Amino acid sequence: MNVKEKLSEVPKKLSEVLRQSVFLTRAAAGSVVSKARWFIYTPRGRRVAVGLTTVGLVALAASSPPVCMVEPGQVGIRVNLLSGNPTELREGWALLVPHVHRLHLYSLKDQIFRPDRSTQANGPAPFQSVEGLSLGVEISVRYALDPARVATLASSMPEDVGREIIEPVIDGVMRRHFAQHTVREIFSTHRMQIQKAITEEIAPLMAADGVILRSVTLGNVDLPSQYRAGLESLLAEGLNAEKMRYTLELKDKRVKESELDAEADKVRREKAAEAAGNEEVIAAKAKAEAMRHILPFKEKEIEQRRLEAEAAKVSRLTHATAESEARQIEAEGESVARRKLAEADAYRVEVTGKAASEQLARDADLISRNPLLIQKTLADKLSDKIQVIIAPPQAGGFIAGNLLGQPTSTGYASGAAPKSQSDLSARAEPSQSEGSEYQEE
Amino acid sequence: MLATLLTVALVVQDQTPLRATAQETATKQAVLFQGEWLEVRGERQGFLQVYDHRRERPGYVREHQVRVYTLDEASVPQLQAVVGFLKDTPGAEALGIGYTAALLRAAPASQVGPELFDAMGTFAERLARRASVRRSLDETLGGHLEVASSYGVKFTSIEQEDRTRLCYDGEAFRRVLALGGTAQARLRAALALTRPDCVDPALGPVERQALNAWRASVLEQVDTSQLPTWLSNRLHLRRAEVYATLAYQWSRRGEARKGAEASERSVRELARVLRTELADEDRSAYAAAAVRVGASRWASEPVPEKPSSGAFLELSPGKPGETCVRLKEAKDLLREQCTYGLVWPASIRRSPQGTVVSVAVQLLEGWTELWVFHRESDGWKQDVLSPAATEPNLGYVELAGYTPDGSRLLVAREALVEGRVKPLFQVLKRETLLPEVSAERPQDSGTFQRWSSAEWRGGTVALR
Repeated sequence: MNVKEKLSEVPKKLSEVLRQSVFLTRAAAGSVVSKARWFIYTPRGRRVAVGLTTVGLVALAASSPPVCMVEPGQVGIRVNLLSGNPTELREGWALLVPHVHRLHLYSLKDQIFRPDRSTQANGPAPFQSVEGLSLGVEISVRYALDPARVATLASSMPEDVGREIIEPVIDGVMRRHFAQHTVREIFSTHRMQIQKAITEEIAPLMAADGVILRSVTLGNVDLPSQYRAGLESLLAEGLNAEKMRYTLELKDKRVKESELDAEADKVRREKAAEAAGNEEVIAAKAKAEAMRHILPFKEKEIEQRRLEAEAAKVSRLTHATAESEARQIEAEGESVARRKLAEADAYRVEVTGKAASEQLARDADLISRNPLLIQKTLADKLSDKIQVIIAPPQAGGFIAGNLLGQPTSTGYASGAAPKSQSDLSARAEPSQSEGSEYQEE
Repeated sequence: MLATLLTVALVVQDQTPLRATAQETATKQAVLFQGEWLEVRGERQGFLQVYDHRRERPGYVREHQVRVYTLDEASVPQLQAVVGFLKDTPGAEALGIGYTAALLRAAPASQVGPELFDAMGTFAERLARRASVRRSLDETLGGHLEVASSYGVKFTSIEQEDRTRLCYDGEAFRRVLALGGTAQARLRAALALTRPDCVDPALGPVERQALNAWRASVLEQVDTSQLPTWLSNRLHLRRAEVYATLAYQWSRRGEARKGAEASERSVRELARVLRTELADEDRSAYAAAAVRVGASRWASEPVPEKPSSGAFLELSPGKPGETCVRLKEAKDLLREQCTYGLVWPASIRRSPQGTVVSVAVQLLEGWTELWVFHRESDGWKQDVLSPAATEPNLGYVELAGYTPDGSRLLVAREALVEGRVKPLFQVLKRETLLPEVSAERPQDSGTFQRWSSAEWRGGTVALR
């Protein structure tokens, strides 16, 4: 089948559709009329109609209530749809005619708007810095509607004031401001200035729209990760530099403190040394004073010793004199005594000598009469000491002839007799004569 | 050096030769003394081959002249036994120090206690005493001192009375006090550290006071409750002496309260000495301590009230360090005398007739005089009674009372004369202050016995 044939069949199909639609319309109209007549003319139909009407009214009241509540802190602007006049409603109940009145409720409390499109550096609408870097800033705008102007501006005021009024305003202002500063300034150094400048600029703009701006706060600044790392290290460097500065200042202060301490210590030590020196001086003076007090005692002691020595001297002198006198007397007495003794001795010697000479005379007489008495006496004296006498025989001599001074050539028998008695007695008793000599010595 | 050794030989005989070879005829490298240690390196022909680290030379010694020990735990009991034996053996101090050092090296840390340091200190202390004997014929002393020094035992020499005294610095005893130890060991340590004859006489007053404060703190570290009486007597004596000195020093510096506390403490410590348990060797120390306490006991006595009438003494500061004693009657100044000594206001006494006023003046740490102001026909006179007519060192004189007619003064004197403390109880004439009666015991003088005041009898330390 070609195109021409298809085009020729189109009018036929259109006419057929048209016929069917007319037929259906007529059938529908017939049924509506018959239903209306049923509602009106039959009792059942009327009951159903009343029921349907009631249900319809209740549904209408439910869908658009005629009374509305204006909460405290809100203001209601009721607009008459017929006349277009707005009426301001304060808190309380308000009457609304359905489909005639429309009520707009506005909160008069402070509200906060936080745009979320520009909070992330990689978000949908980040800010730009003067270097052209994207950055996200969390902004909080605190605002409130101006109650005096709500009524006048109600017709033009959008429902979502934050999104419709504030966001565009702050968006424009902030972008401009951020574009004039570096990221570093936004991030740290000029934050307060930017915030202040933005607030000052936005406030009149928003006031024109009946919005009172309370404050604009810049929150977290989101930087690109690489830049953040760099900036952080930069800040850390800065912090380090700052820290170093403070450290140096601190050290400087410590040095000064040490200097002051040393100075104080020096002064203290000087004072202590001075005090110690003073104490030593005082101790030395005290010792000297003690010594000074002792000296008089020593002097007294020396004086006393001198006196004692003198007394001792006198005493000793007296004693010595007495002793010498006593000795003198003793000596005199002794000399007298000795003289007496000597005299007595001389007398005794004389008497003894006399007696001895008489005895000798008697002995001589006896010996001259008995010459052998000498030998007998000698033999008697030797007999108890000498038992055996071995001697070379002396021809004709007596064994002890030598002792008696006899000549060796002649024997005793032939020898001459002793010359005298005195010789004999002297030789016979040598010990006796020696003894007398000793006595005389 | 010692830490690297394992086997050491301790020399046990004095003048042991260190020979160059293992022969009796070989050259002497050095002469060794008891206690020296040698590193053992071998053995040859009855000789030990050793190395002397102190002299840095090798050599040979006879085996019987040394004792060989391995410095490990196995040798500890043997070394301990020898140290215990030597601890009370006079003349073997250097050997004892050598053995103790070896024991310290060989014993594990858990067994190193205060008793080892006590032994070390005892040896060193005895060696120092040996070296300080006046006429010593000890030929080995020099060698022994060198051996002790080689083990780090330090001695300080102090010039005293024309001779040098050697004192141990007390390092081991300090360790004993730090580590604990028995009561007797602590006592030994404290007494050795606070020996009065080891105080440098050249010290100034400030250093001397600091030293005495330290001595007092050391003596406080010993608990007397666990000691036998004769030993605790020693501690009380030392404390009495130190606190008496401190009493003067604190008072001298103007700290009257501390001075009073120290003086009170010294009197109390002296009172705690039990005389019946006093050892013979402590008697002279007892007498000396009593004199010191007597010299500064006025620091803790209460000040008598000023008399309402008659002559009285007034004290006022003079030049720096000087106190002026003014004798006044009503408003009239009768006499004034300034002194660099410490005038004890508690000691001011007046005779019943008001003709004699006396006060004690402490001029040195242990030297207190009695100043006597007496009224004669030509006015008031001032005389000074010294403890004795010797070099001012240790002594005091105090007023014991008056005869009822006020013509005689009773004084008690105690002083160190020719190394002996000599007490004298005298009756002096008021006019001349010359002794009328002198006795070594108060009961030997009837006048003294009869008229000495009860107050003096209650407070004095002369009647001990």
